[in-house]
Amino acid sequence: MFKHGKYFLNCFIAAFALTALASVAVAQNFKRPAPTPADWAALAKLPDFTGVWEVPMGAPPPAASKPAGGSSPTSSFSDLFPHLTLTPAYAAKLKALQADAPQDPSTANCLPPGMPGIMGQPYPYEFLLTPGQVTIVGEAFSIIRHIYTDGRPLPADPDPSFFGTSIGHWDGDTLVVESVGFSPLTTIDFITPHSDKMRILERFRLTDPDTMSIETTVTDPEALAAPFVTHRILRRHRSWTIAEYICEENNRNFVDRSGKAGINLTPPGSSQTDSK
Amino acid sequence: MTRILKSAVLAAVIFAGSIATARSAAAHHGFAVFDTSSRRTISGTVKSFEWTNPHTWVWLDVHNPNGGVDTWGFEGMSPNFLGRRGWTRNTLKPGDQITVTYFGMKDGSKGGSFLTAKRPNGEELVMFGGNTTDE
Repeated sequence: MFKHGKYFLNCFIAAFALTALASVAVAQNFKRPAPTPADWAALAKLPDFTGVWEVPMGAPPPAASKPAGGSSPTSSFSDLFPHLTLTPAYAAKLKALQADAPQDPSTANCLPPGMPGIMGQPYPYEFLLTPGQVTIVGEAFSIIRHIYTDGRPLPADPDPSFFGTSIGHWDGDTLVVESVGFSPLTTIDFITPHSDKMRILERFRLTDPDTMSIETTVTDPEALAAPFVTHRILRRHRSWTIAEYICEENNRNFVDRSGKAGINLTPPGSSQTDSK
Repeated sequence: MTRILKSAVLAAVIFAGSIATARSAAAHHGFAVFDTSSRRTISGTVKSFEWTNPHTWVWLDVHNPNGGVDTWGFEGMSPNFLGRRGWTRNTLKPGDQITVTYFGMKDGSKGGSFLTAKRPNGEELVMFGGNTTDE
C-alpha cells in the first residue's frame, strides 16, 4: 500500500510538473495558424480602424460622440488631471511620494510613459489590422502596442512591461482589449504607483466614420478603491502619416536623481566662448 | 499638489486655457525651469534652427550691452507637432531677423520657452494653438 501510495504520489508530481510546463509553453508559445485568404477577407468585415488618429487639439469633442458608458467624453482637464480613488494604503504611498516629488516626470529623460498614459499623448496613433492582431503605433516616443486577437489567453504570470501584455476580441463593432503585467516604473497618472495586479480594459469603437471613442478602465485591487475610467475621442486624418520621434535625438531636458529639472543650453556646434 | 502637477497645471493656464497645449506640454516635460510669470521679448539674428525631437530649438544671436554677441536658445514644439501646423525645417533660416516672445529661464541663463516670433514685416510665427493643416 505504501509502495503504491508512493507510486501514485510520484505520478501525481510528474503529471503536475508536465501540466505546469505545458501551460507555460501555451502561454509563451501560442502558435498562430498561418492566415488563410478567408482570414484576410474577414478583416474587411470589421469596423475600419485603419489610418492615423489624433485627439483634436483645443477643439471640443463632437457632441454626438458619447461613449458607451453614457457620460460625456472627457478630452479635457479631468482627463489630464484625473481624480483617482485610491485605497488607504496607496493614498499614503502617494502622499509620501508627493512630499518629495520630482519637478518633472522621467519623460523629461526620454523614458516613455507606460499604460495608460502612453495612450493619452498629444500625438497621433496609427491602427493596423492583420489576421489575429491589432497593432497600435504611437508617434510619441515611437512606441508599438501589440494586441493579440487570435484567441490566445492572457498570460498567468507575465513579465512586467511598460504597455503590458494585451489580448483583444470583437464585441460587435467594439474592440475590447484587456492588458495585464505592467512595469513598476510606470504610473497610473503622472505620479501614482500601481500594484502588479493592475488591469486595463479598453473599448475602441467608431462613433462616426472618422471618429473613434476609446473608453479606458483601470482597475487595481491594491491601489484603486474604484475603477479609474477615462474617455477619449480621436479624429482620423486620412492624409497624415506617422513621423519619427526619436526622443534622444536632441533632448536637452533632464530631471536628475534629486528630482531637479534642467535644460542644457549649450548652443550646437559651438563652445560657450562664442558668447561674450 | 505635486510639483509635476503644479507645473502641468501652470502650462495649461498659461496658454489661455488651451487643453491642447497643456497636453502637448505634458508629453515630454513641464515648465519647472521656466519663469512663466511674464512674457519677455528679445530681438536678434537666427544662428540656426534645429528641427529635432523632442523639441525644435531656435538659436538666436543677440547683441549684448558690452558690444558682444550672445547666443540664446529657445525651446519650441516638436517637428511632428509643428509640421502639421504649417511649419517646416526652413521656416527659420540662419540670418533671419526675428523678435521672439518667450518665457525666460528661472535661473537667468540665456534661453527659454519659445512662444511666438515676429519678422520685421510683421509676419507672426505661432507655435501653440495653431490649427492642423488637415482634417
